[in-house]
Amino acid sequence: MERIVGIDLGTTNSLIAFIDGDTPRVIPDPQTRDALLPSVVSFLKDGRTIVGRHAQELATEQPLTTIQSVKRFMGLGMEHVTADDHRRYRFADRQGMVRFALHGKQYTPPEVSALILRSLRERAEAYLQEPIQKVVITVPAYFNDSQRQATKDAGKLAGLEVVRLLNEPTAASLAYGLDKKEEGLIAVYDFGGGTFDISLLRLHAGIFEVLSTNGDTRLGGDDIDQRLAERFLLADLPEALQQDPRVLRSAHQVAEAAKRALSTAEETRLVLAVPDKDVYITRILTRREMEEATGDIVARTLEPCHQALQDAGLHPQDLEAVVLVGGSTRMPLVRRRVGEFFGRTPLADLNPDEVVALGAAVQADTLSGRRRDMLLLDVVPLSLGIETMGGVMSRLIERNTTIPASVKEMFTTAVDDQTAVDVHVLQGERELAGDCRSLARFKIPIEPQPAGVPRVEVTFLIDANGILNVTATDLRTGHERSVEVKPSYGLTDEEIEKLLEESIDFAEEDVTQRLLIEARTEADTVLHATEKALQQHAALLAAGEQMCILAAMRALQEAKTGEDYNRIRDLTEALSEATTPFAQRIMDTSIQEVLGQKRLSEI
Amino acid sequence: MNHSDPVRCWRCAQAHEAALFCPACQALQLLPSQVDYFSVLGIPHNPVVDEADLTQRYYALSRRLHPDLYQTGTAEEKEASLKNTALLNRAYRTLRDVLQRGQYWLELHGERLGKDNNRVPPELASLVFEVQEKLAEMREARAEDKETAGQTELAKIRSDLSEQMAGLRTALVENLAQWNGDRQAPNLLRDLKNLLSEIAYLRTLLRDVEKESDTQWNA
Repeated sequence: MERIVGIDLGTTNSLIAFIDGDTPRVIPDPQTRDALLPSVVSFLKDGRTIVGRHAQELATEQPLTTIQSVKRFMGLGMEHVTADDHRRYRFADRQGMVRFALHGKQYTPPEVSALILRSLRERAEAYLQEPIQKVVITVPAYFNDSQRQATKDAGKLAGLEVVRLLNEPTAASLAYGLDKKEEGLIAVYDFGGGTFDISLLRLHAGIFEVLSTNGDTRLGGDDIDQRLAERFLLADLPEALQQDPRVLRSAHQVAEAAKRALSTAEETRLVLAVPDKDVYITRILTRREMEEATGDIVARTLEPCHQALQDAGLHPQDLEAVVLVGGSTRMPLVRRRVGEFFGRTPLADLNPDEVVALGAAVQADTLSGRRRDMLLLDVVPLSLGIETMGGVMSRLIERNTTIPASVKEMFTTAVDDQTAVDVHVLQGERELAGDCRSLARFKIPIEPQPAGVPRVEVTFLIDANGILNVTATDLRTGHERSVEVKPSYGLTDEEIEKLLEESIDFAEEDVTQRLLIEARTEADTVLHATEKALQQHAALLAAGEQMCILAAMRALQEAKTGEDYNRIRDLTEALSEATTPFAQRIMDTSIQEVLGQKRLSEI
Repeated sequence: MNHSDPVRCWRCAQAHEAALFCPACQALQLLPSQVDYFSVLGIPHNPVVDEADLTQRYYALSRRLHPDLYQTGTAEEKEASLKNTALLNRAYRTLRDVLQRGQYWLELHGERLGKDNNRVPPELASLVFEVQEKLAEMREARAEDKETAGQTELAKIRSDLSEQMAGLRTALVENLAQWNGDRQAPNLLRDLKNLLSEIAYLRTLLRDVEKESDTQWNA
């Protein structure tokens, strides 16, 4: 049975987990022993990329080319990029999906996420000593179709088969329910670094049934850090410095550290120092001040909670438990507000950072066919529909419908000899198409007929990943027609194919380049040492030896200008051999000198 | 409702009557898409449904059909699992709710509520008129930034409407309880149609009231 591992691809941190016997476990970094991989990617000038802790360290030095919180951009178009995002990063000047401009190249959010996934994969392969191909990746429950598709694309670009996208609160409920053997209705309040989800579930005899879900995919701890940075650090600076990416990054990091400290401490000291920008700010921040400054952000999580309860037809008192997930739930203010809203003390005894990855590993175990005692019944978070006459959104699948879900819709033509019908697929809760998220457009090919005669049945199917699939059947002929769905903000299959090829080529080019650089460096070291020895110890050369060595040096110098690293290595080796007796003599002399000195000093 | 056309198992070619699993080789079968919801869940064709039993059946079937269990299966099994589960989910969603069940029952009898049926049901006319007038007043007051007794008044309207809705639901359950298999019942069918369109109307009205309430709340 092929192993499937679980990945929590988070806004701030990412984790990878597997089933060890019957227990889910996260895999730590071999050096630091830390399970959390910071979801940060730094792009260096020479084309190399760095992921994780080291990239995080580069964030203040190279703010424009170090991408943090890439998850916030997944599946988005340029029109969704905020002014604040523009201050933080440089984007390609192009419509359509978001593209970061880094060292003259363009990278889409799935490509950046793929680098994080690759890093996790390498960690797991080293730990488990086997290749990893298949994964379950978690996504915020409130992620729409484009955001899910982007996550799947990231997996593909990392060379992984994404067996399932799993909703984060559902994953958490799995880890929680199996751990506590709980039955009944529970709420999972998942407040992470960049996203917020609330899910209500019924747990019954191994069935985890999601009743409703709601959330905000651009609301998280990041917003709290941002607010603290603006109010308590940047406000005291001149306008120009407030816009400086390095100052912004540093302020953000100081704010984040302070927020963490204030989860336990009553007050903390803020120190923002960017010496070469002549910035130095220090002040005390109390927990109370922080809570006053960020209360409205925390309050924004409560409206989705209200909506989720209403959709499920439940009241807070119907719930058995409220489970906290995500790093932001460490804030005392969050715990108080959630406690007040649900009228009970929320449970916080699970590790809020790891529980999602652990749940993903459990689901992976089921999908690999090993586990049969539990089953997830999840829902689609947003209504799906199509644009109809007058720009109105016509709903086909209501939000909170259990997935997989399908609906059939009949299409015909409005004018004679029409050869295709255009369909615009939307997702969202608003009445007007323009207010909903555009998912995709496609054409249904139709044989020319008088208006109203053709009858094409289109099936919209949302699979267990929450992703839309479309098929069309001509009812007169019974032929199923292929429908090419063009995602509004995503990569097409061809683009993914091309990126994959490039990444393989690039990887090979990378290796060649690295070996060449190493070979040249090694050659330089040997050449340099030889030259020095010839100058300083010419007296120790045997007859004819100098000729041999000089010839070997010339050959190596010539090879070094070429690209053949094997030749450079061979000639370096040859030069070393040619100089071995000479070097031996130098060594002996030096030892004698040292011994001689020693003897002198002993006297 | 009649689906006696024999179907053949994709694996062993055994003929069967739209069974979920092949009676000979136990392979998962793709249900024909025209199978009715009562048959999907294996309950009698009767609009009176034991909801607890329905849920138990739904869970039990999910445990056998869900795509999570066929991840390592053949392409045929994967497709059957995906499509059958989508059909099962739709059947359960429709039958567990008395309103949707009533509408579905209507459809099974070749009838449907016109989507463009905007006529106010006479029984509701005065109530609808009154509520809409109040809502209009509130919106106007809001536009002029005047103080209103909004929330308390809205709560009253809401409870009135909910009460009315509860009454209609009871009537609906009673109506469905009088059905008995495929017995011809033109009066029941006519009453069912009236009840469902009243409920649909009331629901739209309630949604308007809730929208106004939310707007005031957020303001």
